[in-house]
Amino acid sequence: MRKEIKITSVVLLVLMFSLLLSGSVLAQEEERYGGTLNAALQMSVAHLDSDNSTDSMITAMMNHVYEGLFEFDKNLKVHPYLAKSYQVSEGGLVYEVKLRENVMMHNGQTMNADDVIASFRRWLEINNGGKLVAPHFDQVEKIDQYNIRFTFKDPYAPFLNILASPVSNQKFVVRAEEVVKEFGTDIIERHVGTGPYKYEEWVPDQKLVLTRFEDYTPSSRESSFFAGERIPYLDKIVFNFIPDAQVRVSGVRTGQFQFAEEVPREQYQIFKRNENIKNEIIYPDRMSMLIFNSSEAPFDNKYARRAIAYALDFEELGYAMIGDTQFWRLESALHEEGNPWHVPDAGEGIYGVYDPEKAKQLLEQAGYNGQPLVILSGQDNQMERQGAIAIQDQLEKIGIEVELQLFDRPTVVEKRSKPDGWHMHLSPFIKVVPDPQIHQGWTGTNKWITNWDSKDSRQMDQIFAEMLREVDYEQRYKIVERMQAELWDSVPYFNILDYSRLHIRRTELKNFKSGWQPFFWNTYLE
Amino acid sequence: MLFLKKYNKYKHPYITTSIIILIILIFLSLFAPVITDYSPVRNHPRDRLQPPSRKHLLGTDQFGRDVFTRILYGIRASMQVGLAVVILTMITGGIVGIAAGFYPRIDKVVMRFLDAMMAFPGIIIAISLAAIWGAGKFNIILALSFAYFPRMARIVRSSVISIKDLDYVESARAAGARDSRIILKHILKNSASPIMVQATFNFALAILDEAALSFLGVGIMPPTPSLGAMVTDARSYMVVAPWMILAPGIMIILAVLSLNLLGDGLRDLLDPHLKNTIKN
Repeated sequence: MRKEIKITSVVLLVLMFSLLLSGSVLAQEEERYGGTLNAALQMSVAHLDSDNSTDSMITAMMNHVYEGLFEFDKNLKVHPYLAKSYQVSEGGLVYEVKLRENVMMHNGQTMNADDVIASFRRWLEINNGGKLVAPHFDQVEKIDQYNIRFTFKDPYAPFLNILASPVSNQKFVVRAEEVVKEFGTDIIERHVGTGPYKYEEWVPDQKLVLTRFEDYTPSSRESSFFAGERIPYLDKIVFNFIPDAQVRVSGVRTGQFQFAEEVPREQYQIFKRNENIKNEIIYPDRMSMLIFNSSEAPFDNKYARRAIAYALDFEELGYAMIGDTQFWRLESALHEEGNPWHVPDAGEGIYGVYDPEKAKQLLEQAGYNGQPLVILSGQDNQMERQGAIAIQDQLEKIGIEVELQLFDRPTVVEKRSKPDGWHMHLSPFIKVVPDPQIHQGWTGTNKWITNWDSKDSRQMDQIFAEMLREVDYEQRYKIVERMQAELWDSVPYFNILDYSRLHIRRTELKNFKSGWQPFFWNTYLE
Repeated sequence: MLFLKKYNKYKHPYITTSIIILIILIFLSLFAPVITDYSPVRNHPRDRLQPPSRKHLLGTDQFGRDVFTRILYGIRASMQVGLAVVILTMITGGIVGIAAGFYPRIDKVVMRFLDAMMAFPGIIIAISLAAIWGAGKFNIILALSFAYFPRMARIVRSSVISIKDLDYVESARAAGARDSRIILKHILKNSASPIMVQATFNFALAILDEAALSFLGVGIMPPTPSLGAMVTDARSYMVVAPWMILAPGIMIILAVLSLNLLGDGLRDLLDPHLKNTIKN
């Protein structure tokens, strides 16, 4: 009897203790709520309608207000978001998407198929991503309140990835049907979405204010960047538009802002010494790309193009272009490690192989006559300007004469679009693309500024045509491997390295994840 | 030489200081390859942003290039631009000024044209010309000369006008001297002082404006060192590598200050009206 009492009391004690513990956990969770976040962004926007503008800042801010059917995780793998599940059938011609039920919108109604279809039709008509899809698309049908069927005329493999695209003016977001009806294809000025924050006030050129949506319905999936659970801890988010980097920095120093976007990388060490400031190095979302003019000698010959890859010491370029090793990494593939389309052995035997002798030999093979090579580059962007200077230096060291032409951006854009007058051009590319198909825009016969027109370029066109129709991941991955191999064989352009930008935040802002676009769900103020 | 005679008489302190500084700068720019072993353009990115040390007197920049070396070659470029601009403005401004001052008929047309040009700030004219012709040392020299010559022409013209009616010119003409002889022998020789003073100021201005143009990215093309472009590049590293901005900045100040002092001193020495003020 006494023993029993003893056991019961122990059990009781344990129970009481665990109750207390869970209570304190709950209390901690409760404490995270509240506060106003002041963020300093670098550019103002013209309006807030992401379907109507190529400004990625709009998408970045309105990601808090609108959500997609599908969203990317930190490895750019696509996950259903407002969609619950989906099914692809008939060789990639039909996508059946099941929506999450009882998702509240900012107008007090629940999201249903009508909202999605109305938004989708608008997206198809005016959004750049939609315009990519439209020629292949047949129709969208409502099966019932929560089921939709998308039908294609011919297979279009990148569909889901384009829907979730992080590239400006591509992502598909769900808006309330009433809003789409009200504004049609005009710029939307009333914002009703499903996001964790709702539109409160917009003062052009000054700020955008968002407040917590109390009835928000989070996804039950695991949170990773844009995919999965989003919890709106903050009462209010104020995006301030501050074009001058130093002003953003001082704002964070004084505590006026808790977050500042894109600050000078050179000041990293100084921020590190400040105990109120934390550096946030962004996921390396830029590539420095060296593009050849394939229509002009010597680069009308692929051996000459390959020679330049051997002639450059990429690591040294990293120090000269970007600086601190924390901000760049060597990466031969167009899609980085962890990404579903990463090809680990891309450029093997040529990428990062510094062999000036081989370079000279290849140049000779290509019939290079010693003429000065013109590097055309912008001078406003640090990577472009310093990279061009460093490439000139390296090529001159091995006896190739180089003429450097640095101009402001409009002049560069004008000059590079001409078929002659330049040999090499250094340009930043965005690394976070939704799908390998996107590369088709600048890779292939006479694509972009490459003036690449040969047997190889037509083979590349063929590879992309196959990629477009192949919906099976395994098969498609093999095509991507072939694309990468062809790219490093004929080298119409090549990526030197990946590099990052730097954001800073106050230490009181917790749980911040440095995505390619800043987002503030799941973050809280202490 | 009038100048040397006067200098010996008054020992003007401005002139002494400025000439010492200028001699040092000219020495540095002339003997740059002897003074330093480093190349002003070759990169060593792994040694970037090194603070001043015995190996690198003024540290290194973002490409690991020796800042001291780049400054030496930078002064060289500044001096070249300054000298070329001075010579060009003296020739063009001189010809236009004499023609306008000596022949009243030309005067009316030419001076109105120059008035119109002087309505624009010189640097704006230089920026637009450099933008049209493209960057590069030669184009900068032309652009700056074009921007400065109206002022020079005006100064020459006014001194020609004041001299040409003086008695000795009249008597030369009465003696049957040709215009060319009168201009060369009598007028030019006697208007040398204001031209020299203006030339010195133009020299300083050209150095400053070359730096400004390079700072704006329409000047001397990288990687060739230019003091102005070095300041531009250093801006983004100002907090972490202050030596990168201080060194070329101080050099620009030294060169411009010494030339301005020299100009002031020359004016004091050579202007007969101010003769008495510098005695004490």
